Amino acid sequence: MIDRKFIVGIIVFGSLWGFAECIIGSLLRDVNLPAGAIMTGVFAIGLMTLSRTTFRQPGMQTGIGLVAGGLRLFNPFGGCFICSAIAIMAEGLLFDLIWTGFSLDQKKTQTLTIQASLGITSAYLVYVGGYIVTQILTPVFSSAGFYIENLIVFIPQILASGLLAALLGIVTVPVVFALKKTHITMQDRLYYPVTISVSAFCWVFVIMNTILIVWL
Amino acid sequence: MGKDRILPILALILLFIASSSSLYVYASQTTTDTLRINGQQYTIDQLFSLTKPRSFNDSQYNGIALDDLMLKTAVSNPEQHTYTLKASDGYEKTVTWENMRNGLLTKNRESIFSDLPKAFRVKEIVTIEVK
Repeated sequence: MIDRKFIVGIIVFGSLWGFAECIIGSLLRDVNLPAGAIMTGVFAIGLMTLSRTTFRQPGMQTGIGLVAGGLRLFNPFGGCFICSAIAIMAEGLLFDLIWTGFSLDQKKTQTLTIQASLGITSAYLVYVGGYIVTQILTPVFSSAGFYIENLIVFIPQILASGLLAALLGIVTVPVVFALKKTHITMQDRLYYPVTISVSAFCWVFVIMNTILIVWL
Repeated sequence: MGKDRILPILALILLFIASSSSLYVYASQTTTDTLRINGQQYTIDQLFSLTKPRSFNDSQYNGIALDDLMLKTAVSNPEQHTYTLKASDGYEKTVTWENMRNGLLTKNRESIFSDLPKAFRVKEIVTIEVK
């Protein structure tokens, strides 16, 4: 049986991540800040950690990445939107694999050291992995084709660019765990109206924003 | 060793990799005012004086035609080669002759292709290698 609450959870977290990528990410790029690392280290890792610790179900972050990447495709502004969409989808899958690989769903208590380590590991591997996947898949889907030597010579830069995401992850993950300790919950009767409204707002805002940019 | 112990060790290893890569990238960055095309050095002004202009998107992007640039820099049988655009930070992308026919080089030494994603915008190009 399909768990409707789980599906709606994927949609709302994916929509929030996609919204952040399209709107906040574009603003960060406009002021020449390293948007990719900030978006991954704060929003992607934050939302995926929150969703995983709430639902504790493998596969959820892959779905969240697909929704967020799908929304990113509706906003063809601010950097390479195809690359971004591919990277977001890969990041969701990688987070899922890391969390499942370390059996983190079974842990009942987390020390600050483990939380900070998880922040570094997940943020860095998710960012670097997403970067590498997009460097492979974007040329594959273009008329130019993929050349492995283009990727190999750029590996040191990719490994270096993940440092900021890792440092942000040190703060993001413990903050999410601290928020979870406050035990803020939503009444069941409000769950669907709130999550569906938030998701709809994110999608309508991004699509309207795209239409306005094209027309003005 | 339990996974609880592996995680902090892995985190430290990753921080070390990221930090040492940053140092390597910083130390290996190159700055030059010239472009090396097919083994020859040119200034951007030289290239703009010998190559025909091209623009995209109602003149939003202006520069010189990359295909004409290859012809003017004496590349023979251009359709039989691929072209690797290399940036000062090590980023590089390889494209076909067909892509070069839809590409331009801006005054800021950035490549723009009308038929390729933005990932193929190589900034601060220092070398165009003909293969």
